[in-house]
Amino acid sequence: MKLRDLFIYRGTSNTRVDVVLAIFAFIGFIGLWYVIASFEIVSQRYLPVPWQVVTALYTMLTEQKFIEDIWISVARVWGAFLLSAVMAIPFGIWMSSYRIVGTLTEPIVDFIRYLPVPALVPLLIIWFGIGESSKIAVLWMGTFFQLVLLISDDAKRVPREFIETGFTLGAKPWQITWDIVNREMLPKTIDNLRITLGWCWTYIIIAEIVAANSGIGHAIWSARRFVKTPEVMAGILTIGIIGLLTDQAIRLIHRRMFRYL
Amino acid sequence: MTGDSSFLRIANIDKTFDGDGKHHPSVKVIDNVSMHIKAGEFIVYLGPSGCGKTTLMRIVGGLESANTGAVYLDDKKVTGPDRKKGMVFQAYTSFPWLTVLENIRFGTRYRNDIDNATKEEISQHYLELVGLKDYANYYVNRISGGMRQRVAIARTLAAAPEILLMDEPFGALDAQTREFLQNQLLDINREERKTTIFVTHDVEEAVVLADRIFMFSARPARIIEEIKVADHITGERDLATKETEAFFHLRNHVRDLMRQQARKTEELAQQELQTTIAQTN
Repeated sequence: MKLRDLFIYRGTSNTRVDVVLAIFAFIGFIGLWYVIASFEIVSQRYLPVPWQVVTALYTMLTEQKFIEDIWISVARVWGAFLLSAVMAIPFGIWMSSYRIVGTLTEPIVDFIRYLPVPALVPLLIIWFGIGESSKIAVLWMGTFFQLVLLISDDAKRVPREFIETGFTLGAKPWQITWDIVNREMLPKTIDNLRITLGWCWTYIIIAEIVAANSGIGHAIWSARRFVKTPEVMAGILTIGIIGLLTDQAIRLIHRRMFRYL
Repeated sequence: MTGDSSFLRIANIDKTFDGDGKHHPSVKVIDNVSMHIKAGEFIVYLGPSGCGKTTLMRIVGGLESANTGAVYLDDKKVTGPDRKKGMVFQAYTSFPWLTVLENIRFGTRYRNDIDNATKEEISQHYLELVGLKDYANYYVNRISGGMRQRVAIARTLAAAPEILLMDEPFGALDAQTREFLQNQLLDINREERKTTIFVTHDVEEAVVLADRIFMFSARPARIIEEIKVADHITGERDLATKETEAFFHLRNHVRDLMRQQARKTEELAQQELQTTIAQTN
């Protein structure tokens, strides 16, 4: 292990060293938490020791139907995420393809993009009620407009020569869009989707806290009412684990799909 | 205007790029250029950098439109890009998500004049013609720049264009690779006899490759001389041609023309810079 490299400006990385250090950092973090909690530097009412959180999670999963909450949140996130993606990807590419579409829609998209999602929640509840459709609407509002612009920007960055090559090989605009533009930017699209999925998790918790009687957000919020700090933290931990696992899974797919990179 | 025997006819092309009315003045890049090209000819556009020769070729390819004048390919007016006008760019355009063979096969993708078996045959043929059989399954960002340009040439030929347009395709390559590819292009040309327009500012490259050179002036591009290389250098061309007396004389002549125009280009650039400075003050 060349530890010295770690301290050199922009030094080369070594996967084994990186993994070992990451594990150390994680253990250190848990250890620090344990020390602070068990010596009651902060009251255990506010900061339970790590194993209390793990026990709480176990009880929630086995006795409190938390598993159902997880499934419903995952379903909401993926439903809204997929809806957002299948709409944003074609629309974003379309915006970059024709000036008329871009010029007309970009100012509106840019405006809506800057609206904070929590501010929209009350309005969306008035419009869609407190059922599933309002959850989907919150997530969709929070991700569609962001994703459209990311996709459109990436589509614009496809080299002009690639598109001209397509034309001179006899491709029609829609064939160029599908076979060249979409394909060239696909690795970046997958990356953008991965990031968007992360935002979905932020917004779903907001939506579930405000108005829901199921889901991880609802479970966390209910536990808060009785100051069950371990359960609150178990809920947060669950989101973290789901996020980490999905992120790693998508990264793995990315590596497999795009071996040429 | 019909009844002309020439395969490609460029008639009185003028081209001006519009300015924005503020920082960038409008620029005239092509000034009344006409020429006739016969089927199978290898034409080189030679001129100083930024003179408008590439723009002229892009107009022939339908990727740019002229302000006045027109281009006729086989007596049909060029209105836009299509498979008849194949193009090889200076930038690497082989697709990184495809292997060498897949890239070449992509050239046949939009052909509906042949069936799939023929497409495969053609792809294999051009793979061999550019000498990349051993690298068929390599992704193109694993191979060298020279190889990537060979892939681009093979892909373009696989689309069976009526005319091959090459925009400084060897411009980004080192001198040795460049010579190697020139030689290979001569071989390919012997086999294919494809009507070609090749844009370059490299004098030796122009003389060794061309049947005819059109020497362009500094911007806006006008034809200042047409050099019928084939009349001076007869017989088969290869790298050894560069050692012959005929080549030597012709190269010197063209080089002198090129130097004059390069000087004018420099002067032009200085003038423009001074105008810009005067305006900003």
